[in-house]
Amino acid sequence: MMRTTARKRRTVVALAAAGALALAVAGCGGDGGDEGGSGGDAGGEGTTQTVRLPKLDGQRLQVVAVWTGPEQEAFTKVLKEFEKRTGARVSYVPTQDAMLNYIGTKIAGGSPPDVAMLQQVGALRQAVERKWAKPAGAETKAQLAKNYSRGWQDLGAVDGTQYGVYFKTANKSLIWYNTAVFDNAGASEPKTWKELLTTAETISASGVTPLSVGGADGWTLTDWFENVYLSQAGPEKYDRLAKHEIKWTDPSVTRALTTLAGLFGKPDTIAGGAAGALQTEFPTSVTQTFTGGDRPKAAMVFEGDFVSINIAQTEAKLGTDAKVFPFPAVDGGEPPVVTGGDVAVALTEKPAAQALLTFLASPDAAAVWAAQGGFLSPNKSLDPAAYPNDVQRGIAKALIAAGDDFRFDMSDQMPQSFGGTPGKGEWKALQDFLKNPKDIAGTQARLEADAAKAYANGG
Amino acid sequence: MGSRTAPASPASRLASRLAGGVTQVFLVVVALFWLMPTVGLLLSSLRSPSDISGSGWWEALTAPAQLTADNYAAILRNDTITDSLLSTVMITVPATVLVVVIGSLAGYAFAWMEFPGRDWWFLAVVGLLVVPVQVALVPVSKLFGQVGVFETTLGVVLFHTAFGLPFAIFLLRNFFAEIPRELLEAARLDGAGEIRLFARVVLPLGGPAIASLGIFQFLWVWNDMLVALIFADSDAPPITVALQQQVRQFGNNIDVLAPGAFVSMVVPLAVFFAFQRQFVSGVMAGAVK
Amino acid sequence: MTGTRGLVAAVFLLPALVLLGALVVYPIGYSVQRSFFDRAGTGFAGLDNYVEIFTDDTILTAVRNNAVWVVVAPTLATALGLVFAVLTERVRWGTAFKLVVFMPMAISMLAAGIIFRLVYEQDPDRGVANAVWVGVHDTFAESSGYPRARPLPVHPLEEAGGGAYVTKEPVRAGTPARLPLVGVAPADVPDDARPAREPRPAPGAVTGTAWLDFTKGGGGTPNAVDAREVGLKGLRIEAVRDGRVVATATAAADGSFTLPAAADGALLWLPEANFREPYNGVDWLGPTLVTPAVIGSYVWMWAGFAMVLIAAGLAGLPRELLEAARVDGANEWQVFRRVTVPLLAPVLAVVLVTLMINVLKIFDLVFIIAPGSVQDDANVLALQLYRSSFGTDAHLGVGSAISVLLLLLVIPVMFFNIRRIRKAGR
Repeated sequence: MMRTTARKRRTVVALAAAGALALAVAGCGGDGGDEGGSGGDAGGEGTTQTVRLPKLDGQRLQVVAVWTGPEQEAFTKVLKEFEKRTGARVSYVPTQDAMLNYIGTKIAGGSPPDVAMLQQVGALRQAVERKWAKPAGAETKAQLAKNYSRGWQDLGAVDGTQYGVYFKTANKSLIWYNTAVFDNAGASEPKTWKELLTTAETISASGVTPLSVGGADGWTLTDWFENVYLSQAGPEKYDRLAKHEIKWTDPSVTRALTTLAGLFGKPDTIAGGAAGALQTEFPTSVTQTFTGGDRPKAAMVFEGDFVSINIAQTEAKLGTDAKVFPFPAVDGGEPPVVTGGDVAVALTEKPAAQALLTFLASPDAAAVWAAQGGFLSPNKSLDPAAYPNDVQRGIAKALIAAGDDFRFDMSDQMPQSFGGTPGKGEWKALQDFLKNPKDIAGTQARLEADAAKAYANGG
Repeated sequence: MGSRTAPASPASRLASRLAGGVTQVFLVVVALFWLMPTVGLLLSSLRSPSDISGSGWWEALTAPAQLTADNYAAILRNDTITDSLLSTVMITVPATVLVVVIGSLAGYAFAWMEFPGRDWWFLAVVGLLVVPVQVALVPVSKLFGQVGVFETTLGVVLFHTAFGLPFAIFLLRNFFAEIPRELLEAARLDGAGEIRLFARVVLPLGGPAIASLGIFQFLWVWNDMLVALIFADSDAPPITVALQQQVRQFGNNIDVLAPGAFVSMVVPLAVFFAFQRQFVSGVMAGAVK
Repeated sequence: MTGTRGLVAAVFLLPALVLLGALVVYPIGYSVQRSFFDRAGTGFAGLDNYVEIFTDDTILTAVRNNAVWVVVAPTLATALGLVFAVLTERVRWGTAFKLVVFMPMAISMLAAGIIFRLVYEQDPDRGVANAVWVGVHDTFAESSGYPRARPLPVHPLEEAGGGAYVTKEPVRAGTPARLPLVGVAPADVPDDARPAREPRPAPGAVTGTAWLDFTKGGGGTPNAVDAREVGLKGLRIEAVRDGRVVATATAAADGSFTLPAAADGALLWLPEANFREPYNGVDWLGPTLVTPAVIGSYVWMWAGFAMVLIAAGLAGLPRELLEAARVDGANEWQVFRRVTVPLLAPVLAVVLVTLMINVLKIFDLVFIIAPGSVQDDANVLALQLYRSSFGTDAHLGVGSAISVLLLLLVIPVMFFNIRRIRKAGR
């Protein structure tokens, strides 16, 4: 899921070259897919219309998502464009992380919002099972077929029926670093987990804490685990664990946690120590890495492409003061590519809800937000010129080039009570693990117990 | 209550002076301590987001140049916030008026009308004083959904009215019961019907109690978040709900949250300072709520 | 008598009874009934849902926390209220004081929640609670020059426990000692630190160099004084033999130090004071302290309520009794303990009970103040009720059972109220 945020609408700064990064991220060379630009006029207003929408004058529509701050502003622009084209009136309601709880209150009274931007595949599945979600219409499916790879379409489907549209996505296999600290320590970008440990040690010796972890938000920890696990145990095991076909007590999980403990468990590795990290919200984990002059709280911070929004809040310049490298390969595996995303799903039968899904599946909608920054679209028809800078353009091209060769965020595929609720399930178990990395067996037992319960409740 | 009988000996006089001094200092410290959180919010709301994330609000005490009204200007231009303030008013005023009207009708009936089982009915209503609102969230959601007032301002108003009634009836019935019987009898002899009697005699005499009740209910509804979170029109949420939506990323949205919280406090604080006496007597009577 | 009169009464009562019936009484019935059914609402579940409340870890935490809340918060608020009420009687500006303390009652729990999120901010540079706490702490234990500096495994130093380091081998006069350390942030290096010098032997004394064995930009050799490495100016060094400090020295700007011959054969200690970390305050909103912290914000809001009620009770006390006690030679404390408090007992009881009911239903403060990662640790019944009632994981049976539990807990108070009113009515 993407939890990005920032407070000011400072546009993301123009940057130095970062094309190399993009290639590395995708793990595949060459000039990755600059596919089917829809004749977008580069940098211009997203006025090109590639999708026909019905006239919906006077119809009202309500959309819920977790976005606040600049993300809310950017998404509102997308909705404004929809209003302009259809005449419908759209309102936006931000919710807390437990979005299904919020929607549940409205379902209890029989008036759900019309469209929800769910953060997890698991939440989509549950919404379908509870019969909250409505299938996508023909128009939407046509757009999806035209603009989305099979893999991204399937993520929005449950048991063969298409429900959701992945509007916003994230590459969650990136580590961002403070170049001044790296230069001072003489450290270089690590390619493997081993090198990452050495780099951490070097940086620590230079007097800066190597790592910033936003442990107050449990999802950053699940992302850590998933990247290690995907690279170490491989994609097949990853998929099976995601479906709970193998248990959390499996030796592969033990290995992944042991690997993580090798990093988290070292003294002076995490800014503020484990206790401090557990009090650090994700946005702070980024800003504290790129502020404080020659005494930043940490040298590196791991998370998705959306980190750039938070960096934009600091004085640091992306591409010079702040750089990024792909998550290193663990134990000889492939470097992982874990993605996340927000999926739009209709909760009412209104034609306007379907029209909005259709719009969100079109490159027109993606272009509006892409221009605002902090956005990554799986829409292959989106002209990369729509992105405001090279770093993001590079990440986007790499994502499209990767085609279906990625893995979706595991915790987001699981029932929300296990994989996506603050203070519960995997979030909580990994927070406890961060506090006490020695307790690998206990962490696994707890994960398995919670997972079993969540799946038993119909996940 | 400063004056006391003077202590007998000079030594004990000195001791009591000393004790008085200690008391004064202690109370000053406590008062500052009590004010500090609110002052912190106020000063934070007057600083730029980068100042807030960089240092504590107390820095503004020594560097007043930091203070700026930008955050306030921004939220007053922010439709979500201004609309939500309007929604708060649209919910609070009717919910207060309705409780006063319906409560005083019932209070009068319980005080001065004869009907079978009157005292038992009254006790039953008083028993409802302590029912937590949480009990009603799910069932009333379903009920409102069926009737079509879920997600409407009317729904929130009705909910607040219902949960305000036990206290209203309790307070007003007791107050009305103190009205001298002769006054009512005299009016009855003049041929006044119950409705006239109620409107012309009882309501005017009940002024102080109604004021207390009104202020109490007003603040209660104005400050509510939970009920509105569930029942209010999510396109027109009151200020508490609108701010709650921004709490997910507290540190990042502090430039909205701090001034927003302060704006939401202005009306209750104004009411509080303007009507301290009524508020206090309302609180005292409502001690059971 | 009845007839039309009864009809008029019915008209007066109707709106109130309809609203109360539909929105207050009906939900009680619904909850009681629903609490005996399973998740789907179709199968009878007996007491299963109630058993769940007391077996499910998360809900049990809520039950426990609620118990803590109900005991601690009202007691604290009432005690403070009592103290304030008694003391304000003795100062001229008592009314102003009361206004200040009572004011938080007028604002919403949401606003109070936002206020206290700011107060409890972990970073002592931002959160006032930690700023004060750290301020107090630092007046007793100052932080030092090289926090987190440490030797590498190849260095001739090892941990000595308690944050100090010690040489692996005893030092000899005439053989220079090396004390290399790493892990000093660039900002912590003193401005006037000079490039370190390779230690030189001196006859009849123990000499050596303490330096930062780290080359900016990398490339230095561990355990060797490389060209651009600087001395650890001000580092305190103690020579210890047989558990006694026999000599001390402080490193110069180039890291060199000299100890008298008495240090020959001693181990060199780098005491913990060199490395003490700046104190970072308390995790107010961490899992252990979050409930007390939220209770603190509640007391801030409601102590004023207790104070005002108690002050009103105090004003009604017979003054003669207090004076009589004073005349009998009782001091103020005795008067307070033996006369004031017992006379106030009924008021105190009302205040306590009122606050207890209020606390049972606490929701907003916890919802707003507790960060997501500790919401489970801060859980209370009303919050759990919300979580259990809505969402895809909702279990209305359990949610309703929690409702009924809350109701059961307030029923004694309901009867207490009714008794009081019937007495007053007579």
